[in-house]
Amino acid sequence: MAIYILKRTYQLIIVFLLFLVLSYLLFNAIPGNAFQSLLLNPDLPKEAYQRVLETYGLDKPLFERLQLYIINFFKGDFGYSYNYYPKTPIDLIAERLPRTLMLFALVNVVSFYTGFIVGKILAWRRGSKSETWITITSVFSYTVFYPWFALLMLYFFGYKLGWLPIGKFIYPEKWYDAPFDSDVVFITMIKFTVVATFIQFLAFIFTRNIESLTNRKTARLVSFVLLLLGSYFYWGSGSALEQRTYAADIAYHMILPVFTVTIVAFAGTALLTRTTMMEVLKDDYILTARAKGLSQKRIRDRHAARTALLPVVTSFIFTIITIIDGSVLTETIFSWPGMGQLILQSVTQEDIPVAMATFSFVGILALVAHFLADISYAYLDPRIRIKSQG
Amino acid sequence: MPKEILKVENLNMHYETLTGNVDAVKDISFTVLEGQSFGLVGESGCGKTSVAMSLLQLQADNAKITSGSIKLDGVELVGMSESELRTVRWDGISIVFQGAMNAWNPVIKIGEQIREAIREHYPKKSKSENTKKISELFNMVGLDESIMDRYPHELSGGMKQRAIIALALSCDPKVIIADEPTTALDVVIQDQILNEIKKVQDLLGLSLIYISHDIAVIAEMTDQMAVMYAGRIVELGPTDEVFKNPKHSYTKALLESTPSVVGEKVKLKSLEGEPPSLIDKQSGCAFAPRCPNKNETCNPTVDMELIEISPDYFVDACNASNS
Ligand SMILES: Nc1ncnc2c1ncn2[C@@H]1O[C@H](COP(=O)(O)OP(=O)(O)O)[C@@H](O)[C@H]1O
Ligand SMILES: [Mg+2]
Repeated sequence: MAIYILKRTYQLIIVFLLFLVLSYLLFNAIPGNAFQSLLLNPDLPKEAYQRVLETYGLDKPLFERLQLYIINFFKGDFGYSYNYYPKTPIDLIAERLPRTLMLFALVNVVSFYTGFIVGKILAWRRGSKSETWITITSVFSYTVFYPWFALLMLYFFGYKLGWLPIGKFIYPEKWYDAPFDSDVVFITMIKFTVVATFIQFLAFIFTRNIESLTNRKTARLVSFVLLLLGSYFYWGSGSALEQRTYAADIAYHMILPVFTVTIVAFAGTALLTRTTMMEVLKDDYILTARAKGLSQKRIRDRHAARTALLPVVTSFIFTIITIIDGSVLTETIFSWPGMGQLILQSVTQEDIPVAMATFSFVGILALVAHFLADISYAYLDPRIRIKSQG
Repeated sequence: MPKEILKVENLNMHYETLTGNVDAVKDISFTVLEGQSFGLVGESGCGKTSVAMSLLQLQADNAKITSGSIKLDGVELVGMSESELRTVRWDGISIVFQGAMNAWNPVIKIGEQIREAIREHYPKKSKSENTKKISELFNMVGLDESIMDRYPHELSGGMKQRAIIALALSCDPKVIIADEPTTALDVVIQDQILNEIKKVQDLLGLSLIYISHDIAVIAEMTDQMAVMYAGRIVELGPTDEVFKNPKHSYTKALLESTPSVVGEKVKLKSLEGEPPSLIDKQSGCAFAPRCPNKNETCNPTVDMELIEISPDYFVDACNASNS
């Protein structure tokens, strides 16, 4: 396994270098020299002009500039944003990325979970009336033209019913005299979510070895209730208490985008799970499980769904890669100030350092996701685990 | 006289298909005695697996038991609710499936798959008790304890099948069904597995139903046997008597087409023709078209009920006289 990981890492680095060179050359090929937007600014002092030229070696030939760029890249120097000077691309990404990740992590977890559960039940109840209807609905939401659907949701829930805010991250008027920055509150929320998820995960791992199924269930329920109590106390005391109303505002703004994207995204998982699960249900070991006298639920969840999970997880991980590019559309429609908007802005406004940095970032993310897909697949399927050892 | 642990009476089961009903189990009756082994033999497609599946009521969705009774230790199984049946499965009757190679879930460890069965029926047992039980079973069937932590694909076919036997024994069932447990294995391994089953049966005094298309194996493995043809039992009796003096023309034909390992070499006769389709309803002897002893006394409308020609020895009406 270690050798396998090393090999994959090595491939990863090579591919990434290629990616970096290609994107640099592409941006360089934009007509009218992208750097002009800064250098032609008449307000730019002479020294600054000179310094920029020297720092980036803009007077040097293309090959040397590329070399310089790559060296600086690995030093962690991405230059400055043209539009948000003196912020660096890193500053901008650090501000925008959490918003995108939080939104889409939530969407992905919710849509994967609901999709998997719905698909599982569909396969189990094949032939029933409810199965037919849910399948038709899923096919609809899988094939619907997404921007149209998102606008429809905005119109309906945001405007017609007025239940949910029409886009944006916060209500600025509520934050007018807020003692903190929205990002501070948001980071608190993220930290909370991560810690809570982690605790839930640990509870799950530790209860795995309880032999009696009823005891295991009880232990998991208790841990969940404890977690709820813990969250209640967390948000009811200290600095979290002060941030609470503001956190609620952000959460309120997240509902509609999460809901909309989930509806579109869950259908794919549900339909795929349904198909793979139907195949698995024909397998001999399902008959063994029935002969053993196991409950329907246990056969479905432990025996059928567990095997059907493999292809679903792979396809899911590949959709994670599309989070950022998918976010361009979603964030534009819902005016959500995340990475997607940043990419779009930096490209249309020729903010090349930011565009390059965000592109490399997306590249890294895609490569890492592929890498994780390979490894998690090897983890989920013992048959692959063995092969990759040899 | 040992106790009647499983008593099947006049069991009828058919599959509903687009082209009509397939009558796979017709008026089957037999009794399995405690600690004894009962054999079911017949050409493939004659309904042996259908009988086994009906006993556990694990038939395919399109299958339907129309009448009859299955009593396990005096308790009627036909008409039981699904949740009652669940308690009977594996704890009352367990089964080693035909083609058991794929009977293991590929992503769960062998030990866990056995543990799961015990846990379902004996939820109070501790983890260490279960581990101990599985190690004992593994020792009995000639497997190393470490197999518990293996995944199915890490085992050879023979090992998988031994582990399946351990699985079938894990809840100490009243009756074990072995449905062609060796068909998917190569010949050498087949023999080993047969010996293993025989050894375990003697050791534990199992009540066993052994199903095979190979009459030689049935001779080796069973105390009582039934010969099935086209969904019906045509001859039933103590195994040695059936072998010594078969009554039914089909049984004779089966014996003549089987090489015997011991004894002099005889020229084998192969059985001509095909068994009838189970969709067409036919009256009279289903074997008649292939029967070498067919003559004018064969009555196509005769009732195919079994007749007890001597104590515990049954043969169908048509052949009762031609012994
Ligand atoms: N699910 C099913 N639907 C329709 N026919 C079936 C089904 N399962 C088995 N059969 C038919 O029932 C007959 C008996 O099959 P089976 O019990 O498997 O025989 P055996 O085990 O003796 O080979 C065969 O003709 C087979 O084609
Ligand atoms: Mg069969």
